[in-house]
Parts: sequence; structure tokens; C-alpha cells
Amino acid sequence: MLTVWGRPNSINVQIVMWTAAELGLEVDRKDVGGPFGGLDTPEYLAMNPNGRIPTLQDGDLTIWESNACARYLAAKYGAGSLWPEDPADRAKADMWMDWKKTSLAGPMTTVFWGLVRTPEAERDMAAIGAAAQTSQALYAMLDKWLAGKDFVLGDSLTIGDIPAGAMAYRFMELVKDRPSMPNLEAWYGRLTSRQAYRDHVMLPIT
Amino acid sequence: MKLLGRSSSINVRKVLWTCAELGLTPAHDETDTDIRALNPKGLVPVLVDGGLVLTESNTICRYLAAREGRHDLLPETPAARAQVESWMDWQASDLNTAWRGVFMGRVRNHPDFADPAVQDASIRDWTKQMRILEDRLSSTGAYAAGGDFTLADIVLALSTNRWERTPMDRPALPAIAAWMDRLSSRPGFSQHCRNGVP
Repeated sequence: MLTVWGRPNSINVQIVMWTAAELGLEVDRKDVGGPFGGLDTPEYLAMNPNGRIPTLQDGDLTIWESNACARYLAAKYGAGSLWPEDPADRAKADMWMDWKKTSLAGPMTTVFWGLVRTPEAERDMAAIGAAAQTSQALYAMLDKWLAGKDFVLGDSLTIGDIPAGAMAYRFMELVKDRPSMPNLEAWYGRLTSRQAYRDHVMLPIT
Repeated sequence: MKLLGRSSSINVRKVLWTCAELGLTPAHDETDTDIRALNPKGLVPVLVDGGLVLTESNTICRYLAAREGRHDLLPETPAARAQVESWMDWQASDLNTAWRGVFMGRVRNHPDFADPAVQDASIRDWTKQMRILEDRLSSTGAYAAGGDFTLADIVLALSTNRWERTPMDRPALPAIAAWMDRLSSRPGFSQHCRNGVP
């Protein structure tokens, strides 16, 4: 049995929960973070020195950082399916995972906090608009990459689709004023048809 | 194999050090020509290996270790690999965003980061992050992922060199200092990490 520590509306928890569900793994998820707190206790910091969510436990093993957790689950339980065996393919998947973390997360956090967690009267609409533009330019890169492909690596879902795909739900819901991106929209449609995505990513954005 | 990107970037230097560990000598184009064609974000580094074009420095380091079969630098078993990747991911996100205000303000003299309050907030956050690494190295007594040197040490040491070289008040972090000394005999460390460039 796996344990995932983290509230279900966190994008980074969703990355791990969606990965586990695609692999058919049973998870005991524990609510911590946000209104639940619990991240600054000595017990939690012993598992996750950065004091953030998610944290994954598999038996005696503890892993933190969402992408590291997702890669672990894919490598351990999804070799040849979610986890590409060929080093070049794995690098392409890895690149889009890092891209979510290093490029996309910043502007999408500004959009999300601005529109979801800030009262309307206090919103900095100029900053939110600029971040939405940046997010859209970033997703335009993925749109171009997806030309002629069903998923990031081609015919089937891999770990490379998961972080960018989890964030795509927020992007599609929160950045409504955007140009047509047909490859991205078709890929997003494929994600939304998956039960694991609907169960763990398409939740109320709060 | 070709690497594009100026070596003032710690992300380019991660790859150069990894190449030194692996005994690889890719052609290195410092001039950023063609970057936009290969990477619409315009960010460096970019690695071209035959038909494969990769961006994202940590991805490139992992790819090169896998390509060369160096499981000592990036373990093959999922559990051991995850210990390396947690620290690499943390470097690329929380640690890497903490330094921006003070480094851009005081080293790059970027006008957007001239506000002393922005720089001070960055110093506080950066110090908090470095203490996480200090505690970790203090508990392993050796390297970031445990007893052995891995890719995690390469990426974290580049950030640490920047920490040591940015003009600001900083606490003494003895486990980090001892670890940097331990790394100093590695191939590529003097040339690409502690080379006088923040």
C-alpha cells in the first residue's frame, strides 16, 4: 500500500495521484497542507525536509518532490508503459516534466492565486494577464511539439504527459481567452477521456 | 554532440561538469546562436545529440549519465534514483527561485531587482533553503543523496558556488563547506563549478 501525504486540490499531489491511478495502484491519501496544516511538525519534516506536499511512502521508502515521486512510481510499476525504457525517449519525457516545473509552474501559479485565491477587488489584473500570456506562449510550445502525436512521446500516455497534463486542466479552465491550439486541445481531450484524470485532476479548482 | 549556451549560466556549467565526469567533450557553442530555433524559450543549455535536441539542464545531465551507463551518478533502481531526483528537482525549483532577487540585483545589476526589500527577502529565503541542504549534508556526512557522489551533488554545488560568491551576509554552514571541499577533487569542479564565476 502506498501513502501520499497532501490535500487533493494541490496540483503537485494530483500529479502523483493521477500517476498512481494510471498504474492501478491503491493509495492511502492523507490530508495535509493548506487548511489542514501539518507540514511543520518534526515528523513531517523528517519525511520531507522541504516541508511541502506531496510526500510519497512505499513501504520503508519515502520520496518528496512531485516529479521525483511520479518518476519513481512509473519506473517501479510502469516500466515499458508510463516509463520509457529507451534513454532518448526517457529524456524527451523528462524534459517536458522539468519544463512544467521550471517554466510553467511560475506563471500558472500567478494565474491560479490571482483568480482563485484572491478576492476580486484585490486582484492585480495586469500581473494576472501577463502571466496568462506567458502560460499561453509556453503551451503553444507544447502544441507545436504535439503535432502528429497523440501524446508527448507518440502513441501512448507516458510520464512525460503527466505534469504538463495536470496543469492543462487549470490552464483550460482559467485562461479562457486564448488562441486556437488544435494539437494541444486534441491532446487535452484525450486526457479528459481517461478515468484516472477525471478522478484526480478534474476536481473543483480551489 | 554539441552543447549550446554561455558558461556564465550555472545550468550550462552543470552540463559541462557532468561531461567532465563522464569524459565527454561535446563541441561547445558559447554564443547562443541558433538557440531560438532549437528552443523557443530561448533558454540555455541546449544539447544536440544526433537527431535528439534536449533542453532543461537537469534533464540533459540525467540523459548523459544514462547514455554512458553511469549508474553511480544516476542509480538504475527506482528507489535509489528517486533519492537523487528529489534533490535535483528541489534545486531546480525552490532553491533556484530563492536566489533570484539578490543575485539579479547585486551581481547582474538588473534594474527590476534593485529594491533592497526584494533583495533582503531573497537573502532570507535563500538562507532558509541552504539550511535545508546543510541539515541534509550534516545527516549524511557525505553527499546529498547519501554516501556516494551523484548528479544531485553537481547541480547543488553550482547553486552553492553562487551562494558563496554573491555579495551578502551569510551564516557559516559547516557541513556545506566540508562537502564543497570533498567535491574539490572531482574532475570538472575547479573548471566549471568553483571557477571564480558566481
